[in-house]
Amino acid sequence: MTMKPESEKYNKVLNILRNSKPLLNSTEDIEREVINKIARAHQNRLYLSKVIDFLFGWVYIGWVRRSLITASIILVLVFVYQQSIILKRIDFLSRQTVIIDRENVSTPADEIEKMLLIYKNSGRRFPSKTITISEKQMKELLESVNELQIKYKDLENLIEGDPELKKLIEKKLIESNRTRINL
Amino acid sequence: MIEIKLIEECRGGNFNNFRKLVEVTSPFAYSVAFRMLVDEDQAKDVVQETMITIWQKLKKIKSAEVYKTWIYRIVVNKCYDQLRKRKRNPEFVADELTWELISNRLSEGPSADLENKETAQIISLLTNKLSPKQKAVFILSDLEEMSNDEISEITGISKSAVKANLHYARKNISEKVEKYL
Repeated sequence: MTMKPESEKYNKVLNILRNSKPLLNSTEDIEREVINKIARAHQNRLYLSKVIDFLFGWVYIGWVRRSLITASIILVLVFVYQQSIILKRIDFLSRQTVIIDRENVSTPADEIEKMLLIYKNSGRRFPSKTITISEKQMKELLESVNELQIKYKDLENLIEGDPELKKLIEKKLIESNRTRINL
Repeated sequence: MIEIKLIEECRGGNFNNFRKLVEVTSPFAYSVAFRMLVDEDQAKDVVQETMITIWQKLKKIKSAEVYKTWIYRIVVNKCYDQLRKRKRNPEFVADELTWELISNRLSEGPSADLENKETAQIISLLTNKLSPKQKAVFILSDLEEMSNDEISEITGISKSAVKANLHYARKNISEKVEKYL
């Protein structure tokens, strides 16, 4: 021992305590209890591994595993192919964008559609690739179409009201071999 | 004395030999646990837990030579846990009569064969003002007769800290011995 005795009494007490080692009477009980606990823990682990085997054991079957690998590769390839198609479509559509004086269009989509329909009905064709037209120009175009329609109706009424004028116009049209107008 | 061969066999996963190891290891693990906790049931629980930990981690120790130190370390750590749990519980405080009884028992000299309960009472009275660390150092050094190097390894504190804690513990205990016995 490295210590120097503090006192005789202290040393005496220490000696007595040192000599009276605590006795473990139930070594067998402890041994049994320890073995039981370890066995129980082992059984629990076994039970858990059985459950895991039951749920996921099939992944260890050779042909299932190979099929899963093949299926996953096919899925990945399909996904990549689908993505490339989508990208191509996006790219194609982005090239079809209507640019109006390089400004953002604030007009609602259905109104633009309506305008384009009128434009189409007017007998003209769209340029093959892009249309560069401002919102103002579009409005002017629509207004002129409307005005033209009104004037056409007025003219029609006028012709209907005057049979002589009607005959004269028909005659002139035939003479000039112009496009047939169904009055 | 624990045979290295027995430990090596247990490290290999031999469950039957582990029973033997429990039988050999339990008494000295119990001795430390009982002296630390001064409670038979808690000490037995600590021994049980220690043995289970040993079974689980025996393969991880570097060699059979360090087995004893390793066991002490497990026991001491488990005792720390127990002491921490019961921190709020009031310690046993002895009255004049108890001191007198203990004094009479001690006057019988080194031949006095104390029962576990009496040993618990004396240790509890002498160490109730010590911190768990001081208590561990005192028990390992003065009762289990270990060197400062071993204690340092078991408790995980430096050698100088072991010396300081031991000095404080001895001083505190000898004051009590002088005063009451």
